[in-house]
Amino acid sequence: MASNTEGSSDWLYEARNITKKYGSFTALDSMNFHIAKNEVVGLLGDNGAGKSTLVKMISGINPPTSGDIFVNGKKTEIRTRSDSEAAGIETIYQDIALVDSMSITRNIFMGREITNRFGFMDHKKMEDVAIDILGSAVQISGIDDPRKEVGFLSGGQKQAVAIARAVHFKRNILLLDEPTSALSVRETEHLLKYVGDLKKQGTSSVLVTHNLYHAFMVCDRFVVMSHGTKVFEATKKDTTIEELTDHVIRT
Amino acid sequence: MSSGQSDHIRKAVAERNKRPLANKFMDWIRDNPEGGIFIMFIAAQAAAIIFGLLFPDQFRYLAPANITVVLKSIAPLGIMALGVGILMIAGEFDLSVGALYSFTAIVCATVSNNLLGDVGEAEASSVAPFIGMAVALGVGTLAGIVHAFVTLRFNIPSFITTLGAMLIWKGGTLLYHGARALRFKPTEPFATMFGGEVGVVHASMIWFLIFCVIFYYLLHHHKLGNHFYAVGGNRNAAVAIGIDPARTKYIAFAIAGFMATLSGIVAATRVGSIQPGGGLGMELQSIAACVIGGLALNGGRGSILGILFGTALVFTIQDVLLLLQAPAFYFEMFVGTMIVIAVIMNTAVRRAKA
Repeated sequence: MASNTEGSSDWLYEARNITKKYGSFTALDSMNFHIAKNEVVGLLGDNGAGKSTLVKMISGINPPTSGDIFVNGKKTEIRTRSDSEAAGIETIYQDIALVDSMSITRNIFMGREITNRFGFMDHKKMEDVAIDILGSAVQISGIDDPRKEVGFLSGGQKQAVAIARAVHFKRNILLLDEPTSALSVRETEHLLKYVGDLKKQGTSSVLVTHNLYHAFMVCDRFVVMSHGTKVFEATKKDTTIEELTDHVIRT
Repeated sequence: MSSGQSDHIRKAVAERNKRPLANKFMDWIRDNPEGGIFIMFIAAQAAAIIFGLLFPDQFRYLAPANITVVLKSIAPLGIMALGVGILMIAGEFDLSVGALYSFTAIVCATVSNNLLGDVGEAEASSVAPFIGMAVALGVGTLAGIVHAFVTLRFNIPSFITTLGAMLIWKGGTLLYHGARALRFKPTEPFATMFGGEVGVVHASMIWFLIFCVIFYYLLHHHKLGNHFYAVGGNRNAAVAIGIDPARTKYIAFAIAGFMATLSGIVAATRVGSIQPGGGLGMELQSIAACVIGGLALNGGRGSILGILFGTALVFTIQDVLLLLQAPAFYFEMFVGTMIVIAVIMNTAVRRAKA
């Protein structure tokens, strides 16, 4: 373990001794969590274990009550979405975070519009990029119009847009909170393969899922949470699906 | 980034771009709420013009006097509706714009008159009305910011904040000025800039169109406009993606206050005096114009074109009823019916597409 003011420089991200309280309820209790370079971490646990709270904390929209955060070994304050964006972190949220009344292109570039220096948007360029990433990130069944309103898409298509957006803007870390819940089998397969490809290109991921088989397919390391804290941690070669299942159920 | 996988999307987009103009136009009408309003507006205009041609003596729709009056009277409501509409898109209401309209117009006139900006003064000042206007616009914008502060700081519905503010500004007007009318006959060049005419087009109409263009670019082409839609459409998504909803809403409230003030000043210049209760009811009329123009009551949806057509349609109907010498309450019944029909139509269009 490194000293109090410095994290390990091999780790892209480290949360040390993190506690998150909502009033008297403790959602995260002295939790330690890290993401190394070139790895996919599986974050497991039953409902209410604190997985989503941890993801929201890492992505900055739910800052911790106490504890330290290190990015690339340097102590960093991540208290807003802009902070985490600066740290190169992108998130695919469980509840998707898209605006139904806006077009696909506008959703992808929401808050990060391509503009000239007066703030006016370059619609042509944004649409071009949107078409590119819609095709490459996930093979999205049936989307052929980037101007279509997101409200008219199916659940899987919406999820795919959210994934395409996060994948396009990520730099170091991609957080995926239950990303496959609305995807078809083929889309799921494609996404998991894509997470593996990203790792080869140097982007680490955190995969939050209930599906241990999905997790086992792509993850290098597993962290099992229960009641806001870590109850088990193992690398893929040191564990089995049975052992993981056991820890998720028993704790 | 490889784009081979996107070829099918590119092809589909290219196909759609190749459609004949008529098809694109029909799709636009079908897919946008303002499309339906556009059709209704054209139909109403066509009917009025045909009857105007057939019965030029009984139905004086095409008489120059009528056209002049219409082009004079649209602007105050339209200017107010632009501000109210942008705030609605950002997901909030302002019910106080009608009261603010009177209050700030009186501020403008009082400041101007005290600085000898009245055309009847012996040594009339030509800058005084502009100073009055600047002060009033400042007050109106500040009022909007205060509405935003109370709404966001205490996390209460803006419907309540501005309902309270409506009564406060209404009472404040009477406290500050009393119930009598206030003369506002500004000196030149102010009088011509805001009360003059180019042909049959009144200056206020030109200001309305200028602000339509400005807000069109702001709402549809500037990133701030994108943020209005995002915050109004799904506040949580906007937060998750890093847009500050408070900042966005502060700006929208400020715009609503600014436009209510401008609307009051333009109307006062045209009429030459200000009735302290003159703006009451306009807040609901402007919300009505926006809703008829296809803006969603819960935010995230709408366009400047919709606000423009919504306002124009309301006025066309008012004008037709006036020319038919129908009693005034017919107008209210008509607008009331139209609001409900417009929302039913928009909801049906959305359901059909989903």
